[in-house]
Amino acid sequence: MNPRGVSVRDLLRSSSEGGGFVPPSSGDFELPPIFGDNVYTTKPIALVFLSVILISVFFIISSRKAAVVPSKLQFAGESVYTFVRNDLAKDVIGHDFLRFVPYLFTLFTFILVNNLFGIIPLLQFPTMSRVSFPYVLALTVYLVFHYVGIRKQGAIKYFKEIMFMPGVPKAAYILITPLEILTFFLVRPLTLSLRLFANMFAGHLLLLVFILGGEHLLQGVIGLKLISPFAFAIGIVLTFFEFMVQCLQAYIFTLLAALYIAGALADEH
Amino acid sequence: MANREENAMWSIFGYLLSGLLFWGGIGYGLDKWLGTAYLTLIGLLVGISGAIYLVWLRFGRQ
Amino acid sequence: MEGTLNLVGFGLAAIGPGIATGLIFAAYINGVARQPEARSVLQPIAFLGFALAEALALFGLVLAFVL
Repeated sequence: MNPRGVSVRDLLRSSSEGGGFVPPSSGDFELPPIFGDNVYTTKPIALVFLSVILISVFFIISSRKAAVVPSKLQFAGESVYTFVRNDLAKDVIGHDFLRFVPYLFTLFTFILVNNLFGIIPLLQFPTMSRVSFPYVLALTVYLVFHYVGIRKQGAIKYFKEIMFMPGVPKAAYILITPLEILTFFLVRPLTLSLRLFANMFAGHLLLLVFILGGEHLLQGVIGLKLISPFAFAIGIVLTFFEFMVQCLQAYIFTLLAALYIAGALADEH
Repeated sequence: MANREENAMWSIFGYLLSGLLFWGGIGYGLDKWLGTAYLTLIGLLVGISGAIYLVWLRFGRQ
Repeated sequence: MEGTLNLVGFGLAAIGPGIATGLIFAAYINGVARQPEARSVLQPIAFLGFALAEALALFGLVLAFVL
C-alpha cells in the first residue's frame, strides 16, 4: 500500500485496528536499493540523477531559438535565471558578481527541483532529507568562499582578517577570535547544511504523519473513519505549506551562499 | 540561438552524463568483481571531474 | 506518562524560535505599515531572518527524532 515496500509498520498495522499505528520515524527515510544490493542505486540517487536531467533539458530547450519576444517556455527559463542573477547575485555580491552566477544558479535550481520532488506525486521524496546531500552542497559553498577569499586577499591576510577583525580594541580579541574561528570554519557550513536538511526532513515527516495517520484511521471503527478526512485535509494543507517551505529553503541556501561569497570578497578593510 | 550553440549545449550535457555513467559503471563493475564498497564512488568522482575537465578543454578556452 | 525526554527538549527548544519569528514579522509589519513602498525591499530580509530563526527550531525537531 505504501510505495516503499513492506515494513514492520505495515505488519503491525495490518494486524490490529485501533492501536497498532507506528508513527513514521527516521527509519522511513532509508530506502532499499532498486537493483543490486549496494547503496548506490537507491531512490534518492535515482531522483538526484532525474533532477539533473530535468534541469539540463529544461534550460537547454528553453534557451534555444531565443527570440527577442520570448515564448512562454523561454520566459519561464529566463525569469528563473534573472531572478538568481539580479536578486541573488547582483544585489548581494556587488560588482564582481558575474563569475558566480553559474554556481549560484546551479545551487538554486538543483535544490529547488530536489525539494519539489517531495510533493510531486509518484516521486514523493525530497532528496535533501538524506543528510549527505546538504552536507556536500554546504561543503562546496565552504570551499568556494574560502577559495575566493584566499585568491582575492592572499592566504595570510585573509586568515588574519578572519581571526583578528580590525577595528576592535585589542583586549576584546580574546573573546572574539575563538568565536570568529568557530563561526567561519565550523558553524557556517554546519548550519547551512543542517537548515536545509532539517526543513526537508521535518516537512516530509509531517506529511507522512498526517497521510499515514489518515490511512490508519480509515481502517478503524466507524468513529475513527469519520475523522480520517480531516487528517487528509490537513495533509493537503501541509502539502501547500511544504511547497512554500521548499521554495524558501532553496532561496535561503543560495542567498546565504551569496552572502558568504560577498563577505569573502569584501574589501572594505 | 544559433544551431552551433544549441549543439554545444546538448554536447556539454552529454559529456557530463556520459562521464558519470561510464566511469560510475566501471567503478560499479569493479565493486561487484572485487567485492569492495567504495570503488563506485571513486568511479563517479573520476567520471564527473573528467567530464568537467573535458567541457573546459572544449568550450572554456576561446 | 510515556514518551522520551526528547519531546520535552524539543518543546523547550521551540520557545525561542517562536518568539523570534513573532518579533521578525512584527518588525516587518511595522515597517510596511509605516511605508508601504518599502515592502519589496523588506521582504527578502524578513524571509531571511525567518529562515535563520526557524533553523534552530528544526534542529530541535530533528534531534528529537534522531537521538
